[in-house]
Amino acid sequence: MLSNPLALIAEVTHRCPLHCVYCSNPLELAGTPSELSTEEWTNVFQQCGKLGMLHAHFTGGEPLARTDLAELISAARAAGLYTNLITSGIGLNEERLQALVDAGLDHIQISFQDSREQAANWIAGAKAHTHKIELARAIRRQVGEKKIAFTVNLVVHRQNLDHLEEMIGFIEQLHPERVEIAHTQYYGWALANRAALLPTRAQLEKAVAIVAEAEKRLAGRIRIDSVVPDYYAKYPKACMGGWGRRLMLINPAGKVLPCHAAEVLPGLSFENVREKTLGWIWQESSSFRRFRGEDWMPEPCRSCDRRTEDFGGCRCQAFLLAGDATVTDPACSLAPSHGIVESAVREANADAAVAQPAPASSFVQLQNANTELWSYRTNPE
Amino acid sequence: MAPPSDASQPRLAAGCRWGGTEEDRVILFPEGAIKLQGTGRQVLERCDGQRTFGEIIAELQKQFDAADPAKVRSDISVFLEQLQKKRIVDY
Ligand code: SF4
Ligand code: SF4
Repeated sequence: MLSNPLALIAEVTHRCPLHCVYCSNPLELAGTPSELSTEEWTNVFQQCGKLGMLHAHFTGGEPLARTDLAELISAARAAGLYTNLITSGIGLNEERLQALVDAGLDHIQISFQDSREQAANWIAGAKAHTHKIELARAIRRQVGEKKIAFTVNLVVHRQNLDHLEEMIGFIEQLHPERVEIAHTQYYGWALANRAALLPTRAQLEKAVAIVAEAEKRLAGRIRIDSVVPDYYAKYPKACMGGWGRRLMLINPAGKVLPCHAAEVLPGLSFENVREKTLGWIWQESSSFRRFRGEDWMPEPCRSCDRRTEDFGGCRCQAFLLAGDATVTDPACSLAPSHGIVESAVREANADAAVAQPAPASSFVQLQNANTELWSYRTNPE
Repeated sequence: MAPPSDASQPRLAAGCRWGGTEEDRVILFPEGAIKLQGTGRQVLERCDGQRTFGEIIAELQKQFDAADPAKVRSDISVFLEQLQKKRIVDY
Protein backbone atom coordinates (compact mmCIF):
# COMPACT_ATOMS: atom_id res chain seq x y z
CA MET A 1 0.00 0.00 0.00
CA LEU A 2 1.17 3.49 -0.82
CA SER A 3 2.10 5.38 2.34
CA ASN A 4 1.58 9.09 2.82
CA PRO A 5 4.22 11.64 1.99
CA LEU A 6 6.14 12.82 5.06
CA ALA A 7 7.44 16.21 4.16
CA LEU A 8 6.76 19.15 1.92
CA ILE A 9 9.48 21.26 0.41
CA ALA A 10 7.81 24.62 -0.10
CA GLU A 11 9.75 26.71 -2.58
CA VAL A 12 7.88 29.86 -1.74
CA THR A 13 9.73 32.10 -4.16
CA HIS A 14 12.51 32.03 -6.70
CA ARG A 15 13.50 35.59 -5.87
CA CYS A 16 16.88 35.87 -4.19
CA PRO A 17 19.23 38.77 -3.49
CA LEU A 18 22.31 36.57 -3.80
CA HIS A 19 23.90 34.90 -6.73
CA CYS A 20 25.77 31.99 -5.26
CA VAL A 21 27.97 30.45 -7.91
CA TYR A 22 26.59 26.99 -7.35
CA CYS A 23 22.99 28.09 -7.13
CA SER A 24 20.67 26.10 -9.29
CA ASN A 25 17.70 28.36 -8.98
CA PRO A 26 15.94 28.39 -12.35
CA LEU A 27 16.32 31.67 -14.08
CA GLU A 28 13.03 31.86 -15.87
CA LEU A 29 11.97 33.05 -12.47
CA ALA A 30 8.44 32.46 -11.58
CA GLY A 31 7.85 36.19 -11.15
CA THR A 32 5.76 37.55 -8.32
CA PRO A 33 2.37 37.54 -10.10
CA SER A 34 2.49 33.80 -10.70
CA GLU A 35 3.65 32.98 -7.17
CA LEU A 36 1.12 31.16 -5.02
CA SER A 37 -0.66 33.60 -2.72
CA THR A 38 -0.83 33.44 1.06
CA GLU A 39 -4.28 31.81 0.80
CA GLU A 40 -3.10 29.26 -1.73
CA TRP A 41 -0.16 28.21 0.45
CA THR A 42 -2.42 28.09 3.50
CA ASN A 43 -4.68 25.73 1.62
CA VAL A 44 -1.67 23.61 0.62
CA PHE A 45 -0.53 23.31 4.26
CA GLN A 46 -4.01 22.26 5.33
CA GLN A 47 -3.98 19.54 2.72
CA CYS A 48 -0.53 18.45 3.94
CA GLY A 49 -1.78 18.20 7.51
CA LYS A 50 -4.74 16.06 6.41
CA LEU A 51 -2.43 13.78 4.46
CA GLY A 52 -0.48 13.16 7.67
CA MET A 53 2.62 15.00 6.55
CA LEU A 54 4.97 16.07 9.32
CA HIS A 55 7.37 18.70 8.05
CA ALA A 56 7.27 21.82 5.92
CA HIS A 57 10.65 23.04 4.71
CA PHE A 58 10.55 26.63 3.52
CA THR A 59 13.07 27.26 0.82
CA GLY A 60 13.51 29.25 -2.38
CA GLY A 61 15.20 31.32 -3.84
CA GLU A 62 15.37 33.16 -0.61
CA PRO A 63 12.15 32.53 1.35
CA LEU A 64 12.65 35.81 3.21
CA ALA A 65 11.83 37.58 -0.04
CA ARG A 66 8.19 36.70 0.77
CA THR A 67 6.84 39.49 2.95
CA ASP A 68 4.12 37.12 4.18
CA LEU A 69 6.62 34.50 5.41
CA ALA A 70 5.45 34.77 9.04
CA GLU A 71 1.87 34.18 7.93
CA LEU A 72 2.93 31.17 5.90
CA ILE A 73 4.81 29.73 8.87
CA SER A 74 1.88 30.16 11.19
CA ALA A 75 -0.45 28.57 8.64
CA ALA A 76 1.86 25.56 8.40
CA ARG A 77 2.08 25.31 12.18
CA ALA A 78 -1.69 25.56 12.49
CA ALA A 79 -1.96 22.64 10.07
CA GLY A 80 0.20 20.58 12.43
CA LEU A 81 3.46 20.77 10.50
CA TYR A 82 6.96 21.18 11.85
CA THR A 83 8.37 24.29 10.24
CA ASN A 84 11.89 24.65 8.96
CA LEU A 85 13.31 27.75 7.31
CA ILE A 86 16.25 27.22 4.96
CA THR A 87 17.85 30.57 4.37
CA SER A 88 20.97 32.52 3.55
CA GLY A 89 19.94 34.84 6.37
CA ILE A 90 20.20 37.87 4.11
CA GLY A 91 17.35 40.20 4.87
CA LEU A 92 16.76 38.73 8.31
CA ASN A 93 17.21 41.18 11.15
CA GLU A 94 16.44 40.48 14.77
CA GLU A 95 12.98 41.96 14.59
CA ARG A 96 11.93 39.86 11.65
CA LEU A 97 13.48 36.79 13.21
CA GLN A 98 11.35 37.42 16.28
CA ALA A 99 8.23 37.68 14.15
CA LEU A 100 9.00 34.32 12.52
CA VAL A 101 9.69 32.69 15.87
CA ASP A 102 6.46 34.14 17.28
CA ALA A 103 4.64 32.75 14.25
CA GLY A 104 5.79 29.27 15.28
CA LEU A 105 9.05 28.62 13.49
CA ASP A 106 10.62 25.42 14.82
CA HIS A 107 13.98 25.32 13.10
CA ILE A 108 16.25 27.60 11.14
CA GLN A 109 18.97 26.41 8.84
CA ILE A 110 21.51 28.97 7.72
CA SER A 111 24.05 28.26 5.06
CA PHE A 112 27.63 29.37 5.36
CA GLN A 113 30.07 29.05 2.55
CA ASP A 114 33.44 29.59 4.20
CA SER A 115 34.69 30.95 7.48
CA ARG A 116 37.10 33.32 5.77
CA GLU A 117 35.29 36.52 5.08
CA GLN A 118 36.86 36.91 1.68
CA ALA A 119 36.37 33.40 0.46
CA ALA A 120 32.80 33.48 1.69
CA ASN A 121 32.10 36.60 -0.24
CA TRP A 122 33.79 35.15 -3.27
CA ILE A 123 31.16 32.45 -3.29
CA ALA A 124 28.13 34.36 -2.17
CA GLY A 125 28.85 37.49 -4.16
CA ALA A 126 27.55 39.61 -1.29
CA LYS A 127 28.93 40.86 1.98
CA ALA A 128 26.96 38.35 3.87
CA HIS A 129 29.22 36.88 6.44
CA THR A 130 29.31 39.29 9.36
CA HIS A 131 25.57 39.56 9.17
CA LYS A 132 25.18 35.81 9.59
CA ILE A 133 27.29 35.85 12.73
CA GLU A 134 25.02 38.52 14.21
CA LEU A 135 22.03 36.49 13.20
CA ALA A 136 23.38 33.35 14.86
CA ARG A 137 23.72 35.32 18.08
CA ALA A 138 20.14 36.57 17.81
CA ILE A 139 18.91 33.02 17.31
CA ARG A 140 20.70 31.86 20.43
CA ARG A 141 19.26 34.71 22.47
CA GLN A 142 15.83 33.05 22.18
CA VAL A 143 14.84 31.32 25.40
CA GLY A 144 12.23 28.92 26.75
CA GLU A 145 9.47 27.97 24.33
CA LYS A 146 10.97 30.31 21.77
CA LYS A 147 14.23 28.44 21.63
CA ILE A 148 14.29 27.13 18.10
CA ALA A 149 16.58 24.49 16.65
CA PHE A 150 19.52 25.91 14.75
CA THR A 151 21.49 24.21 12.02
CA VAL A 152 24.41 25.55 10.07
CA ASN A 153 24.79 24.24 6.59
CA LEU A 154 28.25 24.29 5.14
CA VAL A 155 28.56 23.82 1.42
CA VAL A 156 31.96 22.39 0.62
CA HIS A 157 33.88 21.70 -2.57
CA ARG A 158 37.39 21.58 -3.95
CA GLN A 159 37.95 25.32 -3.45
CA ASN A 160 37.19 25.45 0.27
CA LEU A 161 37.54 21.90 1.59
CA ASP A 162 41.08 22.57 2.77
CA HIS A 163 39.66 25.09 5.26
CA LEU A 164 37.26 22.57 6.80
CA GLU A 165 38.89 22.41 10.20
CA GLU A 166 38.85 26.16 10.46
CA MET A 167 35.25 26.35 9.26
CA ILE A 168 34.08 23.85 11.88
CA GLY A 169 36.01 25.70 14.58
CA PHE A 170 34.32 28.90 13.57
CA ILE A 171 30.84 27.39 13.49
CA GLU A 172 31.27 25.88 16.94
CA GLN A 173 31.29 29.39 18.35
CA LEU A 174 27.84 30.03 16.91
CA HIS A 175 26.43 27.21 19.06
CA PRO A 176 24.11 25.46 16.64
CA GLU A 177 22.72 22.03 17.57
CA ARG A 178 23.57 20.71 14.16
CA VAL A 179 26.07 21.22 11.39
CA GLU A 180 25.42 19.81 7.99
CA ILE A 181 28.45 19.47 5.77
CA ALA A 182 27.25 19.00 2.24
CA HIS A 183 29.29 18.68 -0.89
CA THR A 184 28.11 20.52 -3.93
CA GLN A 185 25.93 18.29 -6.02
CA TYR A 186 26.69 18.25 -9.67
CA TYR A 187 23.69 19.57 -11.48
CA GLY A 188 23.36 22.74 -13.50
CA TRP A 189 26.16 25.22 -13.00
CA ALA A 190 28.03 22.90 -10.66
CA LEU A 191 28.01 20.15 -13.28
CA ALA A 192 29.39 22.52 -15.90
CA ASN A 193 32.12 23.54 -13.43
CA ARG A 194 32.64 20.13 -11.93
CA ALA A 195 36.38 20.11 -12.57
CA ALA A 196 36.74 23.18 -10.37
CA LEU A 197 34.51 21.83 -7.63
CA LEU A 198 35.08 18.08 -7.35
CA PRO A 199 37.58 17.50 -4.53
CA THR A 200 40.58 15.22 -4.84
CA ARG A 201 40.67 11.92 -3.00
CA ALA A 202 43.40 13.26 -0.73
CA GLN A 203 41.28 16.30 0.17
CA LEU A 204 38.35 14.07 0.88
CA GLU A 205 40.28 11.66 3.08
CA LYS A 206 41.60 14.52 5.11
CA ALA A 207 38.09 15.95 5.42
CA VAL A 208 36.70 12.62 6.61
CA ALA A 209 39.35 12.49 9.34
CA ILE A 210 38.59 16.06 10.39
CA VAL A 211 34.88 15.32 10.62
CA ALA A 212 35.48 12.16 12.64
CA GLU A 213 37.61 14.09 15.10
CA ALA A 214 35.06 16.91 15.37
CA GLU A 215 32.20 14.45 15.88
CA LYS A 216 34.03 12.96 18.80
CA ARG A 217 34.95 16.27 20.30
CA LEU A 218 31.50 17.81 19.88
CA ALA A 219 29.36 14.77 20.75
CA GLY A 220 26.37 15.83 22.81
CA ARG A 221 26.82 19.47 21.86
CA ILE A 222 26.73 19.60 18.09
CA ARG A 223 25.60 16.84 15.85
CA ILE A 224 27.49 16.69 12.58
CA ASP A 225 25.83 15.31 9.48
CA SER A 226 28.31 14.94 6.72
CA VAL A 227 27.51 13.74 3.26
CA VAL A 228 30.24 12.18 1.14
CA PRO A 229 30.06 13.25 -2.52
CA ASP A 230 28.49 10.35 -4.35
CA TYR A 231 31.22 10.42 -7.00
CA TYR A 232 33.51 8.91 -4.37
CA ALA A 233 30.98 6.54 -2.88
CA LYS A 234 30.46 2.94 -3.84
CA TYR A 235 26.70 3.27 -4.08
CA PRO A 236 24.51 6.23 -4.93
CA LYS A 237 22.40 8.28 -2.59
CA ALA A 238 18.75 7.47 -2.18
CA CYS A 239 17.53 10.52 -4.00
CA MET A 240 14.76 12.21 -2.00
CA GLY A 241 14.42 9.00 0.01
CA GLY A 242 13.08 7.37 -3.14
CA TRP A 243 11.00 8.89 -5.92
CA GLY A 244 7.44 9.60 -4.78
CA ARG A 245 8.10 7.86 -1.50
CA ARG A 246 8.55 10.52 1.16
CA LEU A 247 8.59 14.02 -0.26
CA MET A 248 6.70 16.47 -2.36
CA LEU A 249 8.14 19.72 -3.62
CA ILE A 250 5.96 22.62 -4.63
CA ASN A 251 7.56 25.39 -6.64
CA PRO A 252 6.60 29.07 -6.37
CA ALA A 253 4.04 28.78 -9.13
CA GLY A 254 2.36 25.75 -7.58
CA LYS A 255 3.88 23.01 -9.70
CA VAL A 256 4.30 19.80 -7.72
CA LEU A 257 7.55 17.90 -8.25
CA PRO A 258 8.92 14.62 -6.90
CA CYS A 259 12.41 16.18 -6.69
CA HIS A 260 14.15 19.52 -7.20
CA ALA A 261 15.65 18.62 -10.51
CA ALA A 262 12.71 16.69 -11.93
CA GLU A 263 11.93 19.36 -14.48
CA VAL A 264 15.12 18.53 -16.41
CA LEU A 265 13.74 15.09 -17.17
CA PRO A 266 12.21 14.81 -20.62
CA GLY A 267 8.74 13.41 -21.15
CA LEU A 268 7.37 14.17 -17.70
CA SER A 269 4.60 16.62 -17.03
CA PHE A 270 3.75 17.97 -13.61
CA GLU A 271 0.50 18.90 -11.95
CA ASN A 272 -0.29 22.16 -10.24
CA VAL A 273 -1.89 22.61 -6.82
CA ARG A 274 -4.11 25.21 -8.41
CA GLU A 275 -5.77 22.46 -10.39
CA LYS A 276 -5.45 19.21 -8.45
CA THR A 277 -5.41 18.17 -4.81
CA LEU A 278 -2.12 17.09 -3.25
CA GLY A 279 -3.61 13.73 -2.36
CA TRP A 280 -4.55 13.06 -5.98
CA ILE A 281 -1.15 14.20 -7.21
CA TRP A 282 0.59 11.91 -4.72
CA GLN A 283 -1.49 8.88 -5.56
CA GLU A 284 -2.49 9.24 -9.17
CA SER A 285 -0.26 11.61 -11.10
CA SER A 286 1.93 10.07 -13.76
CA SER A 287 4.95 12.10 -12.62
CA PHE A 288 4.90 10.71 -9.08
CA ARG A 289 4.24 7.19 -10.33
CA ARG A 290 6.88 7.27 -13.04
CA PHE A 291 9.85 6.08 -10.92
CA ARG A 292 8.03 4.95 -7.81
CA GLY A 293 8.67 1.42 -6.62
CA GLU A 294 10.62 -1.09 -8.69
CA ASP A 295 8.68 -1.62 -11.90
CA TRP A 296 10.69 0.93 -13.86
CA MET A 297 14.05 -0.46 -12.76
CA PRO A 298 16.62 -1.77 -15.22
CA GLU A 299 19.36 -4.23 -14.41
CA PRO A 300 21.56 -4.26 -12.37
CA CYS A 301 19.14 -2.53 -9.93
CA ARG A 302 16.24 -4.89 -10.56
CA SER A 303 18.05 -7.83 -9.04
CA CYS A 304 20.22 -5.90 -6.61
CA ASP A 305 19.72 -6.23 -2.84
CA ARG A 306 20.27 -2.54 -2.32
CA ARG A 307 17.31 -1.51 -4.46
CA THR A 308 15.11 -0.95 -1.40
CA GLU A 309 17.77 1.28 0.14
CA ASP A 310 18.94 3.56 -2.65
CA PHE A 311 16.14 2.97 -5.18
CA GLY A 312 18.61 2.92 -8.03
CA GLY A 313 19.98 6.36 -7.19
CA CYS A 314 19.14 9.72 -8.68
CA ARG A 315 17.06 9.86 -11.88
CA CYS A 316 18.26 13.32 -12.72
CA GLN A 317 21.90 12.35 -12.40
CA ALA A 318 21.24 9.34 -14.63
CA PHE A 319 19.76 11.66 -17.21
CA LEU A 320 22.39 14.38 -16.91
CA LEU A 321 25.37 12.04 -17.03
CA ALA A 322 24.23 9.02 -19.00
CA GLY A 323 21.59 10.78 -21.08
CA ASP A 324 18.87 8.38 -19.93
CA ALA A 325 16.70 8.86 -16.86
CA THR A 326 15.78 5.18 -16.75
CA VAL A 327 19.23 3.71 -16.19
CA THR A 328 21.11 2.98 -12.96
CA ASP A 329 22.65 6.13 -11.47
CA PRO A 330 26.18 6.37 -12.93
CA ALA A 331 27.48 7.13 -9.43
CA CYS A 332 26.82 3.46 -8.57
CA SER A 333 29.93 1.30 -8.93
CA LEU A 334 27.71 -1.41 -10.44
CA ALA A 335 26.22 0.84 -13.12
CA PRO A 336 27.15 0.08 -16.75
CA SER A 337 27.76 3.83 -17.20
CA HIS A 338 29.95 4.16 -14.09
CA GLY A 339 32.94 4.93 -16.35
CA ILE A 340 31.63 8.48 -16.74
CA VAL A 341 31.97 9.11 -13.03
CA GLU A 342 35.26 7.25 -12.80
CA SER A 343 36.82 9.40 -15.47
CA ALA A 344 35.62 12.61 -13.76
CA VAL A 345 37.21 11.36 -10.55
CA ARG A 346 40.41 10.44 -12.41
CA GLU A 347 40.61 13.90 -13.89
CA ALA A 348 39.99 15.53 -10.54
CA ASN A 349 42.94 13.64 -9.12
CA ALA A 350 45.33 13.88 -12.07
CA ASP A 351 45.10 17.59 -12.30
CA ALA A 352 47.19 18.99 -9.47
CA ALA A 353 46.53 22.60 -10.43
CA VAL A 354 43.17 23.60 -9.05
CA ALA A 355 40.88 24.74 -11.81
CA GLN A 356 38.94 27.94 -11.21
CA PRO A 357 35.21 27.91 -11.77
CA ALA A 358 33.83 30.11 -14.50
CA PRO A 359 32.71 33.51 -13.28
CA ALA A 360 29.34 33.56 -11.66
CA SER A 361 27.64 35.29 -14.55
CA SER A 362 27.92 32.19 -16.71
CA PHE A 363 25.98 30.07 -14.27
CA VAL A 364 22.96 32.10 -15.01
CA GLN A 365 22.40 30.35 -18.28
CA LEU A 366 23.36 26.97 -16.99
CA GLN A 367 21.29 26.52 -13.95
CA ASN A 368 18.50 24.05 -13.63
CA ALA A 369 15.47 23.63 -11.47
CA ASN A 370 17.12 22.07 -8.49
CA THR A 371 18.68 23.24 -5.30
CA GLU A 372 21.40 21.74 -3.16
CA LEU A 373 20.18 22.61 0.26
CA TRP A 374 18.06 19.87 1.52
CA SER A 375 17.95 18.43 4.95
CA TYR A 376 16.79 14.86 4.63
CA ARG A 377 19.98 13.83 2.90
CA THR A 378 21.01 10.25 3.14
CA ASN A 379 24.67 9.53 3.08
CA PRO A 380 25.82 7.33 0.21
CA GLU A 381 28.21 4.58 1.31
CA MET B 1 29.45 13.50 26.79
CA ALA B 2 28.39 11.62 29.86
CA PRO B 3 25.15 9.78 30.60
CA PRO B 4 22.56 11.78 32.58
CA SER B 5 23.28 12.26 36.28
CA ASP B 6 20.55 11.64 38.84
CA ALA B 7 20.12 15.34 39.49
CA SER B 8 19.86 16.34 35.82
CA GLN B 9 16.48 17.31 34.38
CA PRO B 10 16.08 15.75 30.96
CA ARG B 11 13.98 17.68 28.44
CA LEU B 12 13.45 17.89 24.71
CA ALA B 13 16.20 19.88 23.00
CA ALA B 14 15.57 23.22 21.30
CA GLY B 15 13.22 22.92 18.36
CA CYS B 16 12.14 19.36 19.18
CA ARG B 17 8.52 18.79 20.13
CA TRP B 18 5.67 16.33 20.28
CA GLY B 19 3.44 15.91 17.28
CA GLY B 20 1.28 13.34 15.50
CA THR B 21 -1.96 11.94 16.88
CA GLU B 22 -2.79 10.47 20.28
CA GLU B 23 -2.38 6.90 18.94
CA ASP B 24 0.63 7.79 16.84
CA ARG B 25 2.69 10.08 18.99
CA VAL B 26 5.91 11.29 17.42
CA ILE B 27 8.69 13.61 18.40
CA LEU B 28 9.39 16.03 15.60
CA PHE B 29 12.91 17.27 15.13
CA PRO B 30 14.64 19.15 12.30
CA GLU B 31 15.60 16.27 10.07
CA GLY B 32 12.80 13.84 10.81
CA ALA B 33 10.57 12.34 13.43
CA ILE B 34 10.62 9.38 15.80
CA LYS B 35 7.54 7.38 16.48
CA LEU B 36 7.29 6.48 20.13
CA GLN B 37 5.48 3.58 21.64
CA GLY B 38 5.60 1.69 24.90
CA THR B 39 8.49 2.37 27.21
CA GLY B 40 10.20 4.89 24.95
CA ARG B 41 7.10 7.03 25.07
CA GLN B 42 6.77 6.60 28.83
CA VAL B 43 10.34 7.78 29.30
CA LEU B 44 10.10 10.79 27.03
CA GLU B 45 6.76 11.92 28.38
CA ARG B 46 8.54 12.31 31.70
CA CYS B 47 11.38 14.32 30.22
CA ASP B 48 9.62 17.57 30.97
CA GLY B 49 12.56 19.53 32.34
CA GLN B 50 10.95 19.34 35.81
CA ARG B 51 11.50 15.78 36.91
CA THR B 52 15.06 14.76 37.63
CA PHE B 53 16.61 11.75 35.97
CA GLY B 54 16.61 10.08 39.39
CA GLU B 55 12.85 10.62 39.74
CA ILE B 56 12.13 9.36 36.25
CA ILE B 57 14.10 6.20 36.97
CA ALA B 58 12.32 5.67 40.28
CA GLU B 59 8.88 6.10 38.70
CA LEU B 60 9.62 3.66 35.93
CA GLN B 61 11.28 1.12 38.20
CA LYS B 62 8.08 1.15 40.23
CA GLN B 63 5.89 0.82 37.17
CA PHE B 64 7.94 -2.03 35.70
CA ASP B 65 8.47 -3.77 38.99
CA ALA B 66 8.85 -7.15 37.35
CA ALA B 67 12.03 -5.99 35.64
CA ASP B 68 15.47 -5.79 37.20
CA PRO B 69 15.79 -2.18 38.49
CA ALA B 70 19.44 -1.97 37.46
CA LYS B 71 18.49 -2.96 33.93
CA VAL B 72 15.67 -0.38 33.81
CA ARG B 73 18.15 2.27 34.87
CA SER B 74 20.85 1.35 32.39
CA ASP B 75 18.38 1.00 29.48
CA ILE B 76 16.91 4.43 30.09
CA SER B 77 20.31 5.97 30.54
CA VAL B 78 21.57 4.58 27.23
CA PHE B 79 18.35 5.61 25.47
CA LEU B 80 18.64 9.22 26.65
CA GLU B 81 22.32 9.42 25.90
CA GLN B 82 21.67 8.33 22.32
CA LEU B 83 18.95 10.93 21.90
CA GLN B 84 21.22 13.54 23.39
CA LYS B 85 23.85 12.79 20.75
CA LYS B 86 21.21 13.26 18.09
CA ARG B 87 20.37 16.60 19.75
CA ILE B 88 16.79 15.57 20.46
CA VAL B 89 17.14 15.51 24.25
CA ASP B 90 19.14 17.69 26.61
CA TYR B 91 19.98 17.04 30.23
S1 SF4 C 1 22.02 29.24 -3.29
FE1 SF4 C 1 20.24 30.02 -2.33
S2 SF4 C 1 20.93 31.90 -1.44
FE2 SF4 C 1 22.44 31.40 -2.97
S3 SF4 C 1 21.74 32.41 -4.82
FE3 SF4 C 1 20.89 30.41 -4.81
S4 SF4 C 1 18.88 30.57 -3.99
FE4 SF4 C 1 20.02 32.39 -3.42
S1 SF4 D 1 22.76 -1.48 -8.84
FE1 SF4 D 1 21.07 -0.09 -8.50
S2 SF4 D 1 20.11 -0.81 -6.61
FE2 SF4 D 1 22.14 -1.76 -6.72
S3 SF4 D 1 23.47 -0.38 -5.57
FE3 SF4 D 1 23.57 0.26 -7.72
S4 SF4 D 1 22.01 1.82 -7.93
FE4 SF4 D 1 21.58 0.75 -6.03
